[in-house]
Amino acid sequence: MRLIINLRSADAGFRPRAGGAMRMPGLRGRLTGLSVVLALSASGTALAAAPAGGLETMHRHTTVTSTVPANGDQNPYALIVAPVSSGKIHQGDVLIDNFNDQNNLQGLGTTIVDYNPETKALTLFAAIPRHLDKCPGGVGLTTAMAMLKSGWVIVGSLPSTDGTTATKGQGCLIVLDSQGHVADVIAGPTINGPWGNMAVVDNGSSATLFVSNTGFGVGAPGQDVVKQATVLRIGLSIPEGKPPVVISQTVIGSGFGEQADKGVFIIGPTGLALGGNGALYVSDALGNRVAAIPNAATRTDSAGIGHEVTKDGLLRRPLAMVMAPNGHLLVTNGLNGQVVEIDPTTGRQLQAQWVDTDKAQSPPGSGDLFGIAMTPAGDGFYYVEDDMNTVVLAH
Amino acid sequence: MSGRCPFSSRRGFLTAAGGLVAAASSGLGARAATASPGRDLTEPFLGEHQGGIATPSQSQTYFAAIDLVTTRVSDVANLLRTWTIAAARLTAGQTAAPLGTDLSVPAADSGEALGLGPARLTITFGFGAGLFVKDGNDRYGLAAHRPEALVDLPNFTGDQLQEARTGGDLSIQARADDPQVAFHAVRQLVRLAYGAARIRWAQTGFSANSAAGSTPRNLLGFKDGTQTPGSLDDVVWVGAEGPDWMRGGSYVVVRRIRLVLEHWDQMETDFQEQMIGRHKLSGAPLGRSGEFDALDLDATDKDGNPLIPDNAHVRLATAARRSSVADTPTTTASISPPNAGRRGGREWSTIQDYFSSATSAIRGPGSSGSSIRSRSSMRSISSPRTPAAACSPARGACARTSSSASVCSIRPEAVTPPAAPP
Repeated sequence: MRLIINLRSADAGFRPRAGGAMRMPGLRGRLTGLSVVLALSASGTALAAAPAGGLETMHRHTTVTSTVPANGDQNPYALIVAPVSSGKIHQGDVLIDNFNDQNNLQGLGTTIVDYNPETKALTLFAAIPRHLDKCPGGVGLTTAMAMLKSGWVIVGSLPSTDGTTATKGQGCLIVLDSQGHVADVIAGPTINGPWGNMAVVDNGSSATLFVSNTGFGVGAPGQDVVKQATVLRIGLSIPEGKPPVVISQTVIGSGFGEQADKGVFIIGPTGLALGGNGALYVSDALGNRVAAIPNAATRTDSAGIGHEVTKDGLLRRPLAMVMAPNGHLLVTNGLNGQVVEIDPTTGRQLQAQWVDTDKAQSPPGSGDLFGIAMTPAGDGFYYVEDDMNTVVLAH
Repeated sequence: MSGRCPFSSRRGFLTAAGGLVAAASSGLGARAATASPGRDLTEPFLGEHQGGIATPSQSQTYFAAIDLVTTRVSDVANLLRTWTIAAARLTAGQTAAPLGTDLSVPAADSGEALGLGPARLTITFGFGAGLFVKDGNDRYGLAAHRPEALVDLPNFTGDQLQEARTGGDLSIQARADDPQVAFHAVRQLVRLAYGAARIRWAQTGFSANSAAGSTPRNLLGFKDGTQTPGSLDDVVWVGAEGPDWMRGGSYVVVRRIRLVLEHWDQMETDFQEQMIGRHKLSGAPLGRSGEFDALDLDATDKDGNPLIPDNAHVRLATAARRSSVADTPTTTASISPPNAGRRGGREWSTIQDYFSSATSAIRGPGSSGSSIRSRSSMRSISSPRTPAAACSPARGACARTSSSASVCSIRPEAVTPPAAPP
């Protein structure tokens, strides 16, 4: 493996966002005009292929909305784009949940907000009760959220009572109708801290969810890494007009590292994205790698921690992840404000863009990028900036 | 009278830990006042408006929120009459009441301001929401008189309000060029309220002695007050839109905001400038050279990204100012407080009071209503964001230090409660 830093023109390849460059001239001086290309291959040969149709086409970063509802919840985590119109939600709306409450305590956020790109209005979609009978530990909404074509919204909970994992509960998946009302709770021994971006195969009357669980064996901050995180596949049947029914659960990934953390609550596999080849890609934060679980929708056993797609290089604790229309993965870093573009078929890390350049953190943008989603047209992506409680559109 | 609205900026109202020290020890501030040739200067007490609102800024502030404990409206009326008389005396450099000669009884004034002069003392009284309705109880029959514009503040991201330092039924703001004169005034007025009211919380403050005509700098090192929102009539004084008894009065919001200056000091200057939207030394808008050069919020780079960032203080403040003047000129709001301490280490916090008027919720691009109100640059300035849990008690970095009060200020001749309905 070799890291190649390629000098290029400012119009191609890796650069910090333009607005960001204004905000941090120091970085601009170091990075503008640089294209950092990391090429990986089994033989260790460096390849510096020019990316096409990826990050290099996105030059503007526009703050589109705050994510703070009237109750003061903070720390936007999950970010999804509505696939259909139903109830309060319009197709193309951006749904964002909050992990923190108004006191900025993690694992106590209970709200989901809805941003309508056409009207530019932010509304409250759901205010979930802090405690639900069937959800052990209460409600603290995580990066796991999906909306089905049938209108149901499913969101993960990894709750706490004091903002740390010292008081964490097992949590659950919460099923909401399209009016934002709780319709059902999915919990059980296979679900403990449903955490990561949810991947979905949605056939209308049935659907398959993929969600990572990072709660097994996790205690108070200070604990060593625990290798018990799982990736769970959940099969759903969706009767007409009724909430989804769980018809199967299969652990298809296991043994991923997870760790309680005083600063970010928990570190574990966060990004999940499906590839056209049937693989489920997993951002393995503590392994600093992206892994692939083959035949994710059909396999009947666990693939363990999957096979390695790429590791290290531009990755700095990979976090949220999404599949772009060009077949490349966009992965956010947890330890800086970069988004890394990866070709999963070759394992090449193609380029990175420093989208969050907030120097109040060091390195700039650390710990902010928990949610990422493509626009419906695929010509840009939304991402959350946790530090500002906002959603930004890269386009 | 200065043409610049003293509410239009935060200048002149900064309150910091240093102010607390000065008030407690009567040290540096008192010596400066003693040396000042202006200690005999007075500001008028009677007039169309209360003093201390449009008055050229004094250097010292003592603000107190008062809880009414009496159940009788007549006691409130008597208290306000008593305060009116005492305030007129105090602003003239006199004791709160004649001292008398009988040494066998407590003195009518504690005497710590004897010989200090009026030092341009102004005393500004305000009515808080609790005067009209308290815990849902219309205890004085005044509920119907609550001004429509006297609204509760919305949540601001990072709010960590302390109940004991939030709210109040009445307020007293004393401003002077001598901290002991300001302190003395409030102390005497509180003393006169015994049995009817008691102090709920108080906050000292100071402001810079900047050269005439120059824009003062705040504790972040930036010029503060370059932009003004408009005329006093437009943005400060209540007009026909308010109830009769509020005409010529105004509204004030007081909020203590913690700035984590140690962290701020470690930020690169150009990053600080991006957060504010102005150059630090000149005060000019980013990309310009003169402090009063026009603020071009539409300027972009070649990719269309704004030269003045979306979350820059000047952009958010401008949006708030525009909306306030157009929509609700008497609505008030303040800058939202930080939500986090610094990453590790010992935290040294500064408490500040911000008095501002005529700004509605801080709004940002693409937002609706108050949805983006929290994105005050002050939050970012003072929030050394650590991933997600910056404000967790486990980090020990987030003492709940903020408080607020919302009061309406009133004309001197109206310093009696509006008549209760029969």
